[in-house]
Amino acid sequence: MALGTRWRETLLILVSLHVFVATALDMWWNLGIAGRGRSLYFLGAQSMCTQLKGLSVGQIKLCHMFHDHMPSVGRGAQMGIVECQFQFRFRRWNCSTVDGDRSVFGPIIEIASREAAFTHAVSAAGVVHAISRSCREGELSRCGCSNDPRPGNLDRDWIWGGCGDNIAWGYKFAKSFVDVREKDKNHPRHSPELGRMLMNLHNNEGGRKAVYHYSNVACKCHGVSGSCSLKTCWQQLPAFREVGDRLKDRYDGAFEVKFNKRGTKLVRKHKRYNKPTKEDLIYIHESPDYCKTNPETGSLGTVGRECNRNTHGMDGCNLMCCGRGYNTFKKKIVMRCHCKFHWCCFVKCKTCEKIVDVHTCK
Amino acid sequence: MAGVVLENLSWKKLIILGVFLLLLLLTFFLIGGLIAPAPSNVIYITGTKCIANRTHLDHDKWFIPRGHNEMCDQIWSFDDERVEKEIITASQIVFSFWIPHPKEGGQLKMYRWFQTLLGVLTLDIKYDPKNPVTDKAKLQLDARIGYRGADDDPKDWKLLAQSLEERQLDCAMDEAIEGYHYKCDILQLFELGSVHYDYYLVNIRLPTFDNSDVNAGIGVLEDLHLVVIHQNGGFTKVWLSMKTVLFPMILALLIWYWRRITQLERPPSLLEKTLFVLGIALSLLNLPMEWLTCWLYLPFMLLVGDIRQGIFYAVLLSFWLIFAGEHLMDQVERNKLVMYWKHLSAVGFGCLCLFIFEICERGIQLTDPFFSVWVTDVGANLALTFIVLAGVAACSYFLFLCYMIFKVFRNISAKKSALPQMSKARKKYYMGLIYRFRFLMALTLVCAALTVIFFIISQVSEGQWKWGDDGIHLEYTSAFFTGVYGMWNVYVFGLLCLYAPSHKVITVTEDTDQSQEETVQLTHIPSEASALASDSQPMETSALHPSEGSILQGFMSKQAAD
Repeated sequence: MALGTRWRETLLILVSLHVFVATALDMWWNLGIAGRGRSLYFLGAQSMCTQLKGLSVGQIKLCHMFHDHMPSVGRGAQMGIVECQFQFRFRRWNCSTVDGDRSVFGPIIEIASREAAFTHAVSAAGVVHAISRSCREGELSRCGCSNDPRPGNLDRDWIWGGCGDNIAWGYKFAKSFVDVREKDKNHPRHSPELGRMLMNLHNNEGGRKAVYHYSNVACKCHGVSGSCSLKTCWQQLPAFREVGDRLKDRYDGAFEVKFNKRGTKLVRKHKRYNKPTKEDLIYIHESPDYCKTNPETGSLGTVGRECNRNTHGMDGCNLMCCGRGYNTFKKKIVMRCHCKFHWCCFVKCKTCEKIVDVHTCK
Repeated sequence: MAGVVLENLSWKKLIILGVFLLLLLLTFFLIGGLIAPAPSNVIYITGTKCIANRTHLDHDKWFIPRGHNEMCDQIWSFDDERVEKEIITASQIVFSFWIPHPKEGGQLKMYRWFQTLLGVLTLDIKYDPKNPVTDKAKLQLDARIGYRGADDDPKDWKLLAQSLEERQLDCAMDEAIEGYHYKCDILQLFELGSVHYDYYLVNIRLPTFDNSDVNAGIGVLEDLHLVVIHQNGGFTKVWLSMKTVLFPMILALLIWYWRRITQLERPPSLLEKTLFVLGIALSLLNLPMEWLTCWLYLPFMLLVGDIRQGIFYAVLLSFWLIFAGEHLMDQVERNKLVMYWKHLSAVGFGCLCLFIFEICERGIQLTDPFFSVWVTDVGANLALTFIVLAGVAACSYFLFLCYMIFKVFRNISAKKSALPQMSKARKKYYMGLIYRFRFLMALTLVCAALTVIFFIISQVSEGQWKWGDDGIHLEYTSAFFTGVYGMWNVYVFGLLCLYAPSHKVITVTEDTDQSQEETVQLTHIPSEASALASDSQPMETSALHPSEGSILQGFMSKQAAD
């Protein structure tokens, strides 16, 4: 019963965390750091819903209705965080999570910046990805087959026929789950809250589209004598790295927006650019200065970050350290070399030692 | 062929029959579109990564992905820290797939209604510049399929098939970026002609050895997915019900038809016999022998089904040829199968090629489900050769058929211009011939066109992915299958009805005896022959049919003698 005890432990931790912390910006992304790996299964219990941190009222309702979806939501959130950290590993803002913070990424995300846009998009994409995958694997009770318009459970869903599409379900569920948080409250016109809400909704949609518009369709012919008179197709999810790259491109080309005259919608700020599509990311405010530690904005600064002396890119010491200069010291690294690779797993290597220069920002 | 039902049927009756058949056809389409689910379904299973014992690798053990006590020792991903800690090597990894997967907290069962099971593999190979996929890399799979009944002991899996297979990897990448997946072609793994058991278990190893190239250069494999395609149970039910209803209908009609023919005083003509054979071929296709799979283990059903379909199409193609030939109206005595040997050999040869291919593919699969002619270069070339040969045969067949139909139409136009001058009896004879031919041509063209149109619709609708299906949901692919199947049944049904010999044979001149035909022509209407000769001169002089020429010659000599 190892699983049982682990279950209880995590529950305890979760509950204590719940009592302990209370910030303004609760985010469901917490599900992604709450349980790593397989312990996510504890999320599947219905009673957990009210105790999970970061869920809004609407999300708790959805959690009750689809409690078996929650492990996948958690996995999706986790994928989003990991991918965000990979994409921004060479940037001044490196998508670092702040321990104990309920918005996961720290107060910096409260600014309606490009970075906030990216985090919303990538985590929404993670949920679509994870739900679609679980749906395809048959882990979820209500997706695909059971979502059928035919009379309920008739002869085991007409012996499995008429199964719906997994990615469509992932998209649908992610849309209601992620967006319901924004729709919980009404905001007055021209208010920054409304602006932020509209921005989040748009970026969530952008993230979801980045998964399902780019899924590959694979087909197999299996008619008479293997001819194509009968062809069956299914969808393959793209690698999440591809999704992350696509969103990173959208981040680089994100659109700055402002309220329209009536204060109900967001429109592009610079008329010389095209209108943002549903797949594009939008932001309202310029990014804060990520160079220095600033408790007001929540910026952590780049002091102590490693940088690369030889490039002029964002990871170059000049840009990363914001002109403050850097410290250099020598470090001995034990490396694996002359490896014989197989398609997976343990690799036979020799160990080599190498002394490298490491530069960190002042 | 003497007078048939079609000629003697009043317009009213013909319309009633037509409407009845049309409604029948519509029913078939709607059954497929509204009642039946899609013809086939996909079960997508990501392989569970089980770990075998390092020293003896447990080659005879079944690795089961789920269960309380029988669950294998497994890792979530190859990045797991256990891999480094316990020095887990690639040879120890067993990908395990339990078909089908669980749903709603319980384990689903396979149904015998699924009929066929086709397994293909898709690979998630990550690009890593240190370990890329090499050119022409080959994947060696040590695969086993086991089965178990739902009530059996959870550990009691029995071996169904086992094989060491090699598959050609075909992976490409638009842009080599680390962390991206290659776009790999799907690999055929197995095909089962019968889904007799409740559960299936597939265990796959990708063995590696330190001093050999086996499975070297296949890149970094992250996941192995097994895509299992099976016929939907609901579709099988609808399909079998259709066959069960159609079989006795066609059989009864066939008996009625044969009795009509035996009631005739003359022996049955070639066309009548061919039509009868067509009916038999259809009945063979309709025979709902798939019901047996509900109780018996019959893995050859897939092969038998294909062969039955092949026989039907071969007979249908031959029928069209013979029908066109028998309506040539060039006074050549055909009425014998030997006369069509050139044309029919094209059909026969094509069918033989496909039959050999079929036996090689699905016949061998009976003993080894992992076999496929396409996986080896020699096999693929051989299979391609047979298919190309069959294609050539099909092309020559269609050239023959088109040429014959062209000739028939040319003769029809010639005969038509001569019609007003003919005697009543001859006129009736020719008009009957022309009517019969045109009717069949129209019917066949409509059927063929509908087949093509529905095929295209079903292919297009398959390629598109519809998001959110509101309103009436039509299952195009199923509608295509039931509709086209029903249509050819209706077609043969109509032919058997309408081209059966009529009882209302009154006129004397409807005798097919050639000599009598000539005498009729010579004695009764001398003016007609000359009119015929003068009318059709520009186009027919070169290709004057020998019999017609002889008639003219006979006529000339007779006049001269007079």
